[in-house]
Amino acid sequence: MRSFRGGVHPPDMKHLSADAPIEVLAAPEQLVVPLSQHIGAPARPIVQAGDDVRVGQLIGEASGFVSAAVHSPVSGKVKAVTRTRHPLGNTVDALLIENDGQDRMAERVGEDNPNWRDVSPRDIVDTAMKAGIVGMGGATFPTHVKLSPPESKHIDTVILNAAECEPYLTCDYRLLLERTEDVIEGLKLLVRALTPPDAPPNRVSGIIAVEANKKDVFLKLQDMLQDKTNLLARLMPVKYPQGAEKQLIKTVLNREVPPQSQRGLPMDVGVVVQNVGTALALYEAVRFNKPLYERVLTVSGDAIDTPGNLLVRVGTSTEHVLKARGITDSASVVISGGPMMGIALSRLSTPVNKGTSGLLALSSSENWETMPCISCGACVRHCPMQLIPSKFSTLGDVGRYDETEHWNVIDCIECGVCTYVCPSRRPIVQHVKIGKAVVVPLMRARAEELRRQQEKEHG
Amino acid sequence: MCPVLPVTVAASAGGYTLFGVLVMLVIGAVLGLVLFAASRFFKTDVDERVEKILDVLPNVNCGACGFGGCAAYAEAVVYKGSACSLCAPGGADVECRIAEIMGASVGDREPLVAVVHCGGGTRSAHSAAGYYGIASCRAASVPGLNSPKACVFGCLGMGDCVAACKFDAMVMGDDGLPLVIESNCVACGACVRACPRNIIQLHPLKSFVHVYCINTDKGRDVRKACDIGCIACMKCEKICPVDAIHVINNVAVIDYDKCISCGKCVKECPQGIIVNMRKTRKEIDRLRQPVPGGTS
Amino acid sequence: MQYVKLVIAAVFVSNFVLAQFLGLCPFIGVSKKTSSAVGMGIAVIFVMTLASFVTYLVYWKLLYMPLGIGVDARDYLNIVVFIVVIASLVQFVEMVLQKSMPALYRALGIYLPLITTNCAVLGVAQLNISRFGSGGFAAGLLGATLNGFASGLGFTLALLLMSAIRERLDEADVPLPFRGVPIAFVVASALALAFLGFSGMA
Repeated sequence: MRSFRGGVHPPDMKHLSADAPIEVLAAPEQLVVPLSQHIGAPARPIVQAGDDVRVGQLIGEASGFVSAAVHSPVSGKVKAVTRTRHPLGNTVDALLIENDGQDRMAERVGEDNPNWRDVSPRDIVDTAMKAGIVGMGGATFPTHVKLSPPESKHIDTVILNAAECEPYLTCDYRLLLERTEDVIEGLKLLVRALTPPDAPPNRVSGIIAVEANKKDVFLKLQDMLQDKTNLLARLMPVKYPQGAEKQLIKTVLNREVPPQSQRGLPMDVGVVVQNVGTALALYEAVRFNKPLYERVLTVSGDAIDTPGNLLVRVGTSTEHVLKARGITDSASVVISGGPMMGIALSRLSTPVNKGTSGLLALSSSENWETMPCISCGACVRHCPMQLIPSKFSTLGDVGRYDETEHWNVIDCIECGVCTYVCPSRRPIVQHVKIGKAVVVPLMRARAEELRRQQEKEHG
Repeated sequence: MCPVLPVTVAASAGGYTLFGVLVMLVIGAVLGLVLFAASRFFKTDVDERVEKILDVLPNVNCGACGFGGCAAYAEAVVYKGSACSLCAPGGADVECRIAEIMGASVGDREPLVAVVHCGGGTRSAHSAAGYYGIASCRAASVPGLNSPKACVFGCLGMGDCVAACKFDAMVMGDDGLPLVIESNCVACGACVRACPRNIIQLHPLKSFVHVYCINTDKGRDVRKACDIGCIACMKCEKICPVDAIHVINNVAVIDYDKCISCGKCVKECPQGIIVNMRKTRKEIDRLRQPVPGGTS
Repeated sequence: MQYVKLVIAAVFVSNFVLAQFLGLCPFIGVSKKTSSAVGMGIAVIFVMTLASFVTYLVYWKLLYMPLGIGVDARDYLNIVVFIVVIASLVQFVEMVLQKSMPALYRALGIYLPLITTNCAVLGVAQLNISRFGSGGFAAGLLGATLNGFASGLGFTLALLLMSAIRERLDEADVPLPFRGVPIAFVVASALALAFLGFSGMA
């Protein structure tokens, strides 16, 4: 099977939770709902301490185009506008909500809309915006922005990303297996939202891309999509990072997305990539008017008693989720997301947000020693972006992060492959993160300077 | 090619030397004249003040002025009208002399010193998680990584500021907090820029009462993170005779223009987070003493 | 053909730095960064070419003063005269550049005074008069100037190689006592050994 260049094959560890059906996790008594669960401007709170809220009620409105609305995951009382830690470590505003346990639904939320199949493309995008839907694979980019490409870009393919290449994670697999039809309906909605009004209905095709280790799902999908002209399922080789946008598009369509340094986006090659969970959330939003306030995530790892897949309300604390599946004393690190790209949490009070695809508790966190780079080239061979990762770490070691720009540090997708394969155990991705933090402001300042100069010349 | 002098030449060695001197004199005079003419003819308007200022500057190229070295700063003063006061290592003396060269006068400048606004060392600040990775504060506080310390405002204790100091004015204390050796500090601000958490600030040298906390969380959250963080109890604000200390955004902040360093708030603070530098200075002196039987 | 040979010989076979061991001071001093190595290299090419041309002229046209005792003034005054002439020339050129080409002056400016009486520059002048003495003045002048240019090229090549290696060395985990100039000397000697491979060619 054709695929992208580079990549690795970490043990996928999916057997721990792959056969566990999705279970609903009861909401805790108190939830901390962050107002910034997406990329872009934080939402503006529109409720105050003491207000009564219902499930699905709008509690934070989007404060710009690249922003997303936040809805109450439970019914109860807003206790305070407070602050909490984002999984990324920064402090964000949040609403502390006391759950009354009655799950009183907000108006219209959950009602079946009989005419949902006739909703216009414009309305689908609108619904995605109102329901606060964001990319649920982890990047949390607001979906309505992705669904509103500029006029100049002609989208011809929507890829539903079901690669789930991160080890341990099985939530997308379970969703596809248990709610196949709903996900396909979601994909149809995505396709429709991106089809221009004057174009024939099957101009945009939808592809569900599945890694070969989920063959049962693939066969089921293939079976169900048999009679569709513009929808199909694709099997992809098992390789990390198969689910990264650029690598996914390369594998599925053999198209090369320009790198970040050229401001390349999938839409430049006519593609929009969405996560399985996002498609499902869109379907539920359009049909049942249900905003995004809960998500399926995988709880797994060798320090979890009974790994599984849970439907969790946004704002539930990590601790609550982990305890629900039993966390053993041997746990030494808790990761939000997958083990390759996820973030080790320093606080178990960190709430689950719209982008939390998994919570892993692992017992062995080797305290490894970093050795000097031996120029073996393993990272270069395996880098899916064809960068020279060793350069980032050697430059970083001597503090010359500004020079990483020359080596295209901003093209790095931080997939962690280099760090995984490095025999010297060098923390390359951490160097990359610092490099980006140094380089990006420099580039911005330069662009600003250039713009001012041009203005001077023309004005 | 170099000829072996014939024996006959030795006799007229005196004439030889004279001839050589003459030739050199002529060549020297001609070249000198040419260069002199050239220097007049090709005269360019280089502002000699640049050279003068460069002579005055300490030439350590520390970059504290914000320019790429002393030469760049000298040019910036002359051509771009930058302030004369930017040279931190040079201090007031250099400022006066630059101003003299530029034909301006300056008022007295307050000598500053770096102050580390965190008192939460390993003994009092709680740790939230272990940290594995690059051993630098900048690396530990990059977006996308979690803070190993429970307090997200406090000092990470990995010594980026100590490494940044070019004047040997910072040492790492034994409880994981950097200490400023005030006699060496020239207030260049390198540590201020190096600190990713903005804990270090420059304050007047004459003030020696400082608040060692910048945690703007509410008191309850501060107690969870640190034994000695500012809990915004307002006691310091009430006791201050000159209205120089205020709780702003949940943390006490001293107005150094008003502060008279009387030390009343130091005694009043229940958390002991307001510190009189006199005591700390003693501790730094102790640290600077060579340890018997070991390296200093 | 002989000029091609001459250039190859000057750049590789008898490279000033790595085969004749002249001009080692700027070779170590200005090889920390490739950007400054390029500036220095261009300045050296410039000065060497000019110096070769002028010193050859001075030697044959100015110092040719028979003393009547079987010896010419050029035979025993050349070194000291060359130094004075080259130094003045560089000073002069610097002033001209400053006035007429400020951009080039700024690029070369800091390196020009560094090499006024560099031993490589003096060396090329000395070598020229011994190598291109016979076979007519015009051909000798051309040969000397070309040799000066090619020697400068060779110097630049060595400087560039060295600076590129040293930039990589900065990232390497070098044992503490070897950091900086010591490891640079080790590298320089290894480079010189490599250039020994050219000896005997051309």
